[in-house]
Amino acid sequence: MKNSKIYFKLVLSGFLGLALFSCDKKNDTGLEFAPNMYNSIGYESQTQIEKNGINPNGMNMRYPVDGTISRRKYKTSFVQDDSTVVNDLMIYGLGKDDLAIAENLKNPIPWSEAAEDEGKVLYERNCMHCHGVKGAGDGKVAAKYKGVPNYAADAYKDMTMGHVFHVITFGRNRMWPHGAQVLPEERWKIAHYLQRLQIGG
Amino acid sequence: MIKNIPTLALHPYKIAILYFKMINNISKKLLTLVALVFVLTIQSFAQDGDAAAGETLFKNNCAQCHAADASVVVGPGLAGIEDRRDFAWIKKWVNNPAAVISSGDKYAVELYEKYNKTQMTAFPAYGEAEIKNILAYVKAANAAPVVAEGAPAAAPVQEASGGKFFNVVLVSLLVIMALVLVALLAVLKLLSTIAQGGSPESSVSGLESFKATLKGLASNKTIVTAVIWMFVLLGTKATLDGLYSIGVHQGYAPTQPINFSHKLHAGDMEINCAYCHTGVYKGKQSGIPSSSICMNCHNTIKRESPEIQKIYTAIEKNQPIEWVRVHNLPDLAYFNHSQHTNVAGLDCANCHGDIKNMEVVEQRHTLTMGWCIDCHRKTDVNAKGNAYYDALLTAHNSSSKEAMKVEDIGGLECAKCHY
Repeated sequence: MKNSKIYFKLVLSGFLGLALFSCDKKNDTGLEFAPNMYNSIGYESQTQIEKNGINPNGMNMRYPVDGTISRRKYKTSFVQDDSTVVNDLMIYGLGKDDLAIAENLKNPIPWSEAAEDEGKVLYERNCMHCHGVKGAGDGKVAAKYKGVPNYAADAYKDMTMGHVFHVITFGRNRMWPHGAQVLPEERWKIAHYLQRLQIGG
Repeated sequence: MIKNIPTLALHPYKIAILYFKMINNISKKLLTLVALVFVLTIQSFAQDGDAAAGETLFKNNCAQCHAADASVVVGPGLAGIEDRRDFAWIKKWVNNPAAVISSGDKYAVELYEKYNKTQMTAFPAYGEAEIKNILAYVKAANAAPVVAEGAPAAAPVQEASGGKFFNVVLVSLLVIMALVLVALLAVLKLLSTIAQGGSPESSVSGLESFKATLKGLASNKTIVTAVIWMFVLLGTKATLDGLYSIGVHQGYAPTQPINFSHKLHAGDMEINCAYCHTGVYKGKQSGIPSSSICMNCHNTIKRESPEIQKIYTAIEKNQPIEWVRVHNLPDLAYFNHSQHTNVAGLDCANCHGDIKNMEVVEQRHTLTMGWCIDCHRKTDVNAKGNAYYDALLTAHNSSSKEAMKVEDIGGLECAKCHY
């Protein structure tokens, strides 16, 4: 009897030890050899190995200097149907409340099947989880978020591409702005695809 | 009779006549009553508007923000709307809510304030007929409690009985296990009493004979050598395995500052990876989403959850959320997401595993050089529709009949990744 008790204890402690070991493993990257070869000396985006002594919150990443604008947004230019080149409109000087002006903006990306297909892919990545496969406002997230409209509904089916662009940029009603996530060029492509969804796909 | 069916639609009174013809053994009085009720319902619908047409209108245009019953979705529930407001007001509001609010209408302003200043979409094209149809649908939906309440009431009952069944199974399993345990203990007790009380001497001799056997084995050279070799081999294997796992983070699943579930977001909610990891098709890094992306949905959803509260606190204090990086390549190897996602068209799960079913993200693959090379040897180049590969494809096809793999265009060159 005494022996069996000792065995029982041994087995139990063995299991406990195993359990502890496996718990640790989840939070441990394991043994590393010469980690100084692994870690970048220069700052890498999305990587923070030790606290930065100078920047706020000890982060390597910083906000851009006030007033600076990403130049990339200005560089894109598109040839219109009538062979005129458009350089602006990818980003424009309109504010959140200038929806009435934005509605009259022309899509600088001429319609093509390729542009609409790209718009579809971008729609599926950025919009579909709320707005639904066919834009009926029946995405999985919409069931939780509520108030997502049907593009083909009477109040929405005639909305211009400029309106769509503006709403993606600044948000409207319950939808929050997505200008930081979706590039201007991508917004115009999504607007092309939405034209199809407005007539019910 | 079948030929007569189309006439059903012609006139409600004909239905009553058909009823008389069809069934004779029910009393005439009852039948008259049934017919009267039938006719009255049809007539009342004709007066108020077409509920069926209203249902289509409601589901396409209103249901996103309004429920037909009294529950609040975004705006108020529409049950009893006709008791609260007269028709003229409702029409004015539907056609142009902004104008009603700015006219200083007390009820409208209160409504606007109550629902977080979210303005209703205007439906200027809706005339009397459309609005009456919608109102008729709302009325009909509320007047049919048997259907409306029956369905949701049935669900919890089923659920409860399912839960009960599960509980019964669990309890019975526990009982069986307890019985087995008792039986085992009884057997053990019996055996030990036999061993102790029955014949104590034999048990001691048993132990001694066991010791003798052990001694015999220890003096046998063949067995000793075999055991030593076994230990050496096992030790070598363990050492090699240990060495190979140096710097390999496979199975790493660190605890994150917020218990974010990829299973819920990417799996159940079907949110695309690129919605949050915005850089994954564009750049080297897929990117960790900023809290503003969380807020796109969580300004409304699950606001009271303690995990979501952590996001609000971080935003208020302007502090970063310190996510722990799971997949990490050493600095000595260059990896670019866009080349693999956008150009090669690979799925995220290809390297990251079945993220859509992970509560806590875990590194499933080794991410070692051998693992990279293996894929570069096996995978065909996604050259379709990509003019960059045209010349390479021509050159490859002139010398080989096999499909062009990544290794054929320099996918194994050291300097492709190490420079």
